[in-house]
Amino acid sequence: MDYNKIRALLEKYWEAATSLEEEEALREFFVTHQHPLPEDLREAAPLFRYYQQEINRELPAEPVTGVVPISKARPWQHWMKYAAVLLIMAGIGYSIQQQRVKHDQLIVADFGEDTYKDPEVAYKETQKALQLLARNLNKGTEQMEKLNYFNEATEKIKE
Amino acid sequence: MSLELFHSQVLPIRPKLFRFAFRLLNNEEDAKDIIQDALLKVWNQQERMPELQNMEAWCMRIVRNLALDRLKSKKYRNTEGLDRAGEVHAIHQQSPHLAAEQQDVMGRVHSIINALPEKYRTIIQLRDMDGFSYQEICDILELTLSEVKINLHRARKSVREQLQNLHVYGLQ
Repeated sequence: MDYNKIRALLEKYWEAATSLEEEEALREFFVTHQHPLPEDLREAAPLFRYYQQEINRELPAEPVTGVVPISKARPWQHWMKYAAVLLIMAGIGYSIQQQRVKHDQLIVADFGEDTYKDPEVAYKETQKALQLLARNLNKGTEQMEKLNYFNEATEKIKE
Repeated sequence: MSLELFHSQVLPIRPKLFRFAFRLLNNEEDAKDIIQDALLKVWNQQERMPELQNMEAWCMRIVRNLALDRLKSKKYRNTEGLDRAGEVHAIHQQSPHLAAEQQDVMGRVHSIINALPEKYRTIIQLRDMDGFSYQEICDILELTLSEVKINLHRARKSVREQLQNLHVYGLQ
Protein backbone atom coordinates (compact mmCIF):
# COMPACT_ATOMS: atom_id res chain seq x y z
CA MET A 1 0.00 0.00 0.00
CA ASP A 2 1.09 3.49 -0.76
CA TYR A 3 2.77 5.18 2.24
CA ASN A 4 1.02 8.43 1.51
CA LYS A 5 -2.32 6.74 1.68
CA ILE A 6 -1.33 5.23 5.02
CA ARG A 7 -0.20 8.64 6.25
CA ALA A 8 -3.56 10.14 5.33
CA LEU A 9 -5.42 7.29 6.99
CA LEU A 10 -3.30 7.60 10.11
CA GLU A 11 -4.07 11.29 10.40
CA LYS A 12 -7.75 10.44 10.14
CA TYR A 13 -7.24 7.70 12.71
CA TRP A 14 -5.68 10.04 15.29
CA GLU A 15 -8.57 12.44 14.72
CA ALA A 16 -11.03 9.59 15.38
CA ALA A 17 -12.52 10.06 11.94
CA THR A 18 -11.79 6.69 10.37
CA SER A 19 -14.34 4.03 9.58
CA LEU A 20 -14.03 0.48 10.87
CA GLU A 21 -12.85 -0.66 7.43
CA GLU A 22 -10.14 1.99 7.30
CA GLU A 23 -8.96 1.01 10.74
CA GLU A 24 -8.80 -2.60 9.65
CA ALA A 25 -6.77 -1.60 6.62
CA LEU A 26 -4.31 0.24 8.85
CA ARG A 27 -4.03 -2.72 11.17
CA GLU A 28 -3.42 -5.07 8.30
CA PHE A 29 -0.77 -2.81 6.85
CA PHE A 30 1.22 -2.54 10.06
CA VAL A 31 0.94 -6.22 10.90
CA THR A 32 1.91 -7.54 7.48
CA HIS A 33 4.49 -4.94 6.50
CA GLN A 34 7.92 -6.55 6.46
CA HIS A 35 10.26 -3.80 5.24
CA PRO A 36 11.56 -1.01 7.45
CA LEU A 37 8.95 1.70 7.81
CA PRO A 38 9.53 5.39 7.10
CA GLU A 39 10.35 7.36 10.24
CA ASP A 40 6.97 9.05 10.61
CA LEU A 41 5.02 5.81 10.38
CA ARG A 42 7.01 3.96 13.01
CA GLU A 43 5.28 5.37 16.04
CA ALA A 44 1.94 3.79 15.13
CA ALA A 45 3.29 0.34 14.30
CA PRO A 46 3.45 -1.10 17.85
CA LEU A 47 -0.06 0.12 18.56
CA PHE A 48 -1.66 -1.66 15.62
CA ARG A 49 0.40 -4.78 16.24
CA TYR A 50 -0.78 -4.69 19.82
CA TYR A 51 -4.40 -4.40 18.67
CA GLN A 52 -3.91 -7.38 16.38
CA GLN A 53 -2.32 -9.37 19.20
CA GLU A 54 -5.24 -8.53 21.50
CA ILE A 55 -7.77 -9.49 18.83
CA ASN A 56 -6.02 -12.80 18.25
CA ARG A 57 -5.39 -13.41 21.92
CA GLU A 58 -7.06 -16.53 23.09
CA LEU A 59 -9.01 -15.74 26.16
CA PRO A 60 -9.58 -18.38 28.77
CA ALA A 61 -12.47 -20.51 27.70
CA GLU A 62 -15.59 -19.61 29.52
CA PRO A 63 -17.51 -22.67 30.60
CA VAL A 64 -20.72 -22.71 28.64
CA THR A 65 -23.34 -23.87 30.98
CA GLY A 66 -26.86 -24.36 29.93
CA VAL A 67 -29.60 -22.36 31.49
CA VAL A 68 -31.80 -24.60 33.49
CA PRO A 69 -35.19 -23.16 34.19
CA ILE A 70 -36.00 -23.24 37.84
CA SER A 71 -39.45 -24.63 38.37
CA LYS A 72 -41.72 -22.33 40.26
CA ALA A 73 -41.87 -22.90 43.96
CA ARG A 74 -44.63 -25.28 44.94
CA PRO A 75 -46.75 -24.31 47.94
CA TRP A 76 -45.83 -27.40 49.89
CA GLN A 77 -42.14 -26.58 49.58
CA HIS A 78 -42.54 -24.05 52.33
CA TRP A 79 -44.80 -26.07 54.61
CA MET A 80 -42.55 -25.48 57.60
CA LYS A 81 -43.00 -21.72 57.28
CA TYR A 82 -46.76 -22.05 57.21
CA ALA A 83 -46.72 -24.56 60.05
CA ALA A 84 -44.61 -22.22 62.17
CA VAL A 85 -46.94 -19.30 61.50
CA LEU A 86 -49.97 -21.43 62.38
CA LEU A 87 -48.29 -22.66 65.56
CA ILE A 88 -47.43 -19.16 66.67
CA MET A 89 -50.95 -17.94 65.97
CA ALA A 90 -52.45 -20.87 67.86
CA GLY A 91 -50.10 -20.20 70.79
CA ILE A 92 -51.03 -16.53 70.93
CA GLY A 93 -54.74 -17.34 70.68
CA TYR A 94 -54.50 -19.92 73.42
CA SER A 95 -52.63 -17.60 75.79
CA ILE A 96 -55.15 -14.79 75.21
CA GLN A 97 -57.98 -17.18 75.93
CA GLN A 98 -56.31 -18.46 79.08
CA GLN A 99 -55.77 -14.95 80.33
CA ARG A 100 -59.40 -14.07 79.77
CA VAL A 101 -60.59 -17.14 81.68
CA LYS A 102 -58.30 -16.32 84.58
CA HIS A 103 -59.54 -12.75 84.66
CA ASP A 104 -63.17 -13.87 84.71
CA GLN A 105 -62.45 -16.26 87.55
CA LEU A 106 -60.90 -13.49 89.58
CA ILE A 107 -63.95 -11.25 89.09
CA VAL A 108 -66.25 -14.05 90.20
CA ALA A 109 -64.06 -14.76 93.20
CA ASP A 110 -64.08 -11.11 94.25
CA PHE A 111 -67.72 -10.25 93.90
CA GLY A 112 -69.76 -13.17 92.88
CA GLU A 113 -69.27 -15.65 95.73
CA ASP A 114 -70.47 -15.22 99.33
CA THR A 115 -68.19 -15.96 102.25
CA TYR A 116 -70.96 -17.71 104.14
CA LYS A 117 -73.65 -19.77 102.67
CA ASP A 118 -75.96 -19.72 105.67
CA PRO A 119 -77.53 -16.25 106.20
CA GLU A 120 -77.97 -16.84 109.95
CA VAL A 121 -74.31 -17.49 110.45
CA ALA A 122 -73.48 -14.56 108.25
CA TYR A 123 -75.75 -12.26 110.29
CA LYS A 124 -74.15 -13.42 113.52
CA GLU A 125 -70.69 -12.96 112.16
CA THR A 126 -71.58 -9.45 111.00
CA GLN A 127 -73.00 -8.63 114.38
CA LYS A 128 -69.84 -9.91 116.02
CA ALA A 129 -67.73 -7.77 113.76
CA LEU A 130 -69.84 -4.68 114.44
CA GLN A 131 -69.72 -5.31 118.14
CA LEU A 132 -65.98 -5.54 118.04
CA LEU A 133 -65.94 -2.25 116.21
CA ALA A 134 -68.32 -0.66 118.72
CA ARG A 135 -66.27 -1.91 121.65
CA ASN A 136 -63.15 -0.42 120.29
CA LEU A 137 -64.93 2.85 119.50
CA ASN A 138 -66.25 2.93 123.07
CA LYS A 139 -62.72 2.53 124.35
CA GLY A 140 -61.86 5.64 122.44
CA THR A 141 -64.81 7.63 123.74
CA GLU A 142 -64.01 6.62 127.35
CA GLN A 143 -60.63 8.27 126.97
CA MET A 144 -62.30 11.28 125.40
CA GLU A 145 -64.63 11.54 128.39
CA LYS A 146 -61.62 11.73 130.66
CA LEU A 147 -60.28 14.50 128.54
CA ASN A 148 -63.58 16.26 128.75
CA TYR A 149 -63.50 15.98 132.52
CA PHE A 150 -60.05 17.50 132.57
CA ASN A 151 -61.20 20.33 130.33
CA GLU A 152 -64.09 21.11 132.63
CA ALA A 153 -61.77 21.15 135.61
CA THR A 154 -59.42 23.62 133.93
CA GLU A 155 -62.36 25.83 133.01
CA LYS A 156 -63.44 25.96 136.66
CA ILE A 157 -59.94 26.88 137.78
CA LYS A 158 -59.87 29.69 135.23
CA GLU A 159 -63.07 31.08 136.57
CA MET B 1 -38.95 -12.35 28.20
CA SER B 2 -39.31 -15.98 27.64
CA LEU B 3 -36.57 -18.48 28.12
CA GLU B 4 -36.37 -18.93 24.34
CA LEU B 5 -35.69 -15.23 23.86
CA PHE B 6 -32.99 -15.37 26.50
CA HIS B 7 -31.46 -18.35 24.74
CA SER B 8 -31.63 -16.80 21.30
CA GLN B 9 -30.61 -13.22 22.07
CA VAL B 10 -28.59 -13.08 25.27
CA LEU B 11 -26.64 -16.32 25.46
CA PRO B 12 -25.02 -16.01 22.00
CA ILE B 13 -23.36 -12.73 23.02
CA ARG B 14 -22.01 -14.28 26.19
CA PRO B 15 -18.46 -14.83 24.83
CA LYS B 16 -18.38 -11.21 23.71
CA LEU B 17 -19.50 -10.08 27.17
CA PHE B 18 -16.89 -12.29 28.76
CA ARG B 19 -14.18 -10.85 26.52
CA PHE B 20 -15.25 -7.34 27.46
CA ALA B 21 -15.31 -8.13 31.19
CA PHE B 22 -11.99 -9.93 30.99
CA ARG B 23 -10.31 -6.96 29.34
CA LEU B 24 -11.76 -4.55 31.86
CA LEU B 25 -10.78 -6.62 34.88
CA ASN B 26 -7.74 -8.49 33.62
CA ASN B 27 -8.84 -11.41 35.72
CA GLU B 28 -10.53 -14.58 34.55
CA GLU B 29 -12.34 -15.49 37.76
CA ASP B 30 -13.70 -12.00 38.26
CA ALA B 31 -14.81 -11.85 34.64
CA LYS B 32 -16.72 -15.12 35.07
CA ASP B 33 -18.36 -13.80 38.23
CA ILE B 34 -19.34 -10.60 36.50
CA ILE B 35 -20.89 -12.48 33.59
CA GLN B 36 -22.97 -14.59 35.96
CA ASP B 37 -24.15 -11.48 37.80
CA ALA B 38 -24.84 -9.67 34.55
CA LEU B 39 -26.93 -12.51 33.12
CA LEU B 40 -28.88 -12.69 36.34
CA LYS B 41 -29.49 -8.96 36.18
CA VAL B 42 -30.62 -9.21 32.57
CA TRP B 43 -32.99 -12.01 33.50
CA ASN B 44 -34.37 -10.08 36.44
CA GLN B 45 -35.05 -7.05 34.29
CA GLN B 46 -36.75 -9.02 31.58
CA GLU B 47 -39.78 -6.74 31.55
CA ARG B 48 -37.56 -4.00 30.08
CA MET B 49 -36.57 -6.18 27.13
CA PRO B 50 -39.33 -5.19 24.68
CA GLU B 51 -38.52 -1.48 24.92
CA LEU B 52 -34.80 -1.98 24.28
CA GLN B 53 -33.35 -0.86 20.97
CA ASN B 54 -30.07 -2.67 21.27
CA MET B 55 -29.97 -5.70 23.49
CA GLU B 56 -26.25 -6.27 23.05
CA ALA B 57 -25.36 -2.73 24.06
CA TRP B 58 -27.62 -3.03 27.06
CA CYS B 59 -25.91 -6.22 28.19
CA MET B 60 -22.49 -4.67 27.62
CA ARG B 61 -23.54 -1.70 29.70
CA ILE B 62 -24.58 -3.96 32.56
CA VAL B 63 -21.28 -5.83 32.34
CA ARG B 64 -19.34 -2.58 32.33
CA ASN B 65 -21.17 -1.20 35.35
CA LEU B 66 -20.66 -4.39 37.29
CA ALA B 67 -17.00 -4.51 36.32
CA LEU B 68 -16.49 -0.91 37.38
CA ASP B 69 -18.18 -1.63 40.70
CA ARG B 70 -15.84 -4.55 41.15
CA LEU B 71 -12.83 -2.40 40.33
CA LYS B 72 -13.95 0.23 42.81
CA SER B 73 -14.50 -2.22 45.61
CA LYS B 74 -11.72 -2.20 48.15
CA LYS B 75 -11.34 -5.90 48.00
CA TYR B 76 -10.22 -5.81 44.42
CA ARG B 77 -6.56 -6.32 43.88
CA ASN B 78 -5.09 -6.01 40.46
CA THR B 79 -3.00 -9.07 39.91
CA GLU B 80 -2.61 -8.39 36.26
CA GLY B 81 1.16 -8.32 36.40
CA LEU B 82 1.24 -11.79 37.87
CA ASP B 83 -1.44 -13.11 35.56
CA ARG B 84 0.38 -12.00 32.50
CA ALA B 85 3.79 -12.97 33.76
CA GLY B 86 3.66 -16.37 32.14
CA GLU B 87 2.32 -15.04 28.90
CA VAL B 88 5.47 -14.81 26.90
CA HIS B 89 4.20 -15.98 23.57
CA ALA B 90 6.39 -18.03 21.40
CA ILE B 91 6.84 -16.06 18.26
CA HIS B 92 8.07 -18.27 15.49
CA GLN B 93 10.32 -17.33 12.63
CA GLN B 94 12.08 -14.77 14.74
CA SER B 95 15.20 -14.87 16.76
CA PRO B 96 14.65 -15.10 20.53
CA HIS B 97 16.19 -11.68 20.88
CA LEU B 98 13.77 -10.13 18.41
CA ALA B 99 10.85 -11.99 19.95
CA ALA B 100 11.74 -10.76 23.42
CA GLU B 101 12.12 -7.22 22.15
CA GLN B 102 8.79 -7.44 20.36
CA GLN B 103 7.16 -8.77 23.51
CA ASP B 104 8.67 -5.95 25.50
CA VAL B 105 7.24 -3.36 23.12
CA MET B 106 3.83 -5.03 23.31
CA GLY B 107 4.06 -4.94 27.10
CA ARG B 108 4.80 -1.23 26.98
CA VAL B 109 1.86 -0.53 24.68
CA HIS B 110 -0.31 -2.57 27.02
CA SER B 111 0.87 -0.48 29.95
CA ILE B 112 0.21 2.74 28.05
CA ILE B 113 -3.35 1.70 27.26
CA ASN B 114 -3.98 0.33 30.72
CA ALA B 115 -2.75 3.53 32.32
CA LEU B 116 -5.37 5.58 30.46
CA PRO B 117 -8.40 6.84 32.38
CA GLU B 118 -11.10 4.19 32.43
CA LYS B 119 -13.35 5.97 29.94
CA TYR B 120 -10.58 6.36 27.35
CA ARG B 121 -9.39 2.81 27.87
CA THR B 122 -12.87 1.38 27.42
CA ILE B 123 -13.49 3.42 24.29
CA ILE B 124 -10.21 2.27 22.71
CA GLN B 125 -10.99 -1.28 23.69
CA LEU B 126 -14.50 -1.17 22.26
CA ARG B 127 -13.45 0.50 19.03
CA ASP B 128 -9.98 -0.80 18.22
CA MET B 129 -10.10 -4.28 19.71
CA ASP B 130 -13.75 -5.27 19.73
CA GLY B 131 -14.62 -3.41 16.52
CA PHE B 132 -17.83 -1.74 17.64
CA SER B 133 -19.34 1.04 15.56
CA TYR B 134 -19.57 4.56 16.97
CA GLN B 135 -23.30 4.16 17.45
CA GLU B 136 -22.86 0.93 19.39
CA ILE B 137 -20.28 2.59 21.63
CA CYS B 138 -22.77 5.43 22.21
CA ASP B 139 -25.34 2.87 23.37
CA ILE B 140 -22.93 0.96 25.58
CA LEU B 141 -21.44 3.98 27.30
CA GLU B 142 -24.59 6.11 27.17
CA LEU B 143 -22.77 8.96 25.48
CA THR B 144 -23.64 11.08 22.46
CA LEU B 145 -21.91 10.50 19.16
CA SER B 146 -19.83 13.65 19.50
CA GLU B 147 -18.81 12.73 23.06
CA VAL B 148 -17.66 9.32 21.86
CA LYS B 149 -15.63 10.85 19.04
CA ILE B 150 -14.10 13.48 21.29
CA ASN B 151 -13.15 10.92 23.91
CA LEU B 152 -11.75 8.53 21.32
CA HIS B 153 -9.74 11.36 19.78
CA ARG B 154 -8.34 12.34 23.17
CA ALA B 155 -7.59 8.74 24.06
CA ARG B 156 -5.73 8.13 20.80
CA LYS B 157 -3.91 11.43 21.14
CA SER B 158 -2.73 10.48 24.59
CA VAL B 159 -1.60 7.06 23.35
CA ARG B 160 0.18 8.67 20.41
CA GLU B 161 2.11 11.07 22.64
CA GLN B 162 3.35 8.24 24.78
CA LEU B 163 4.22 6.15 21.74
CA GLN B 164 6.26 9.07 20.47
CA ASN B 165 8.16 9.05 23.76
CA LEU B 166 8.84 5.35 23.34
CA HIS B 167 10.05 6.04 19.83
CA VAL B 168 12.26 8.93 20.95
CA TYR B 169 13.99 6.64 23.42
CA GLY B 170 14.56 4.10 20.71
CA LEU B 171 12.45 1.42 22.18
CA GLN B 172 10.80 0.52 18.94
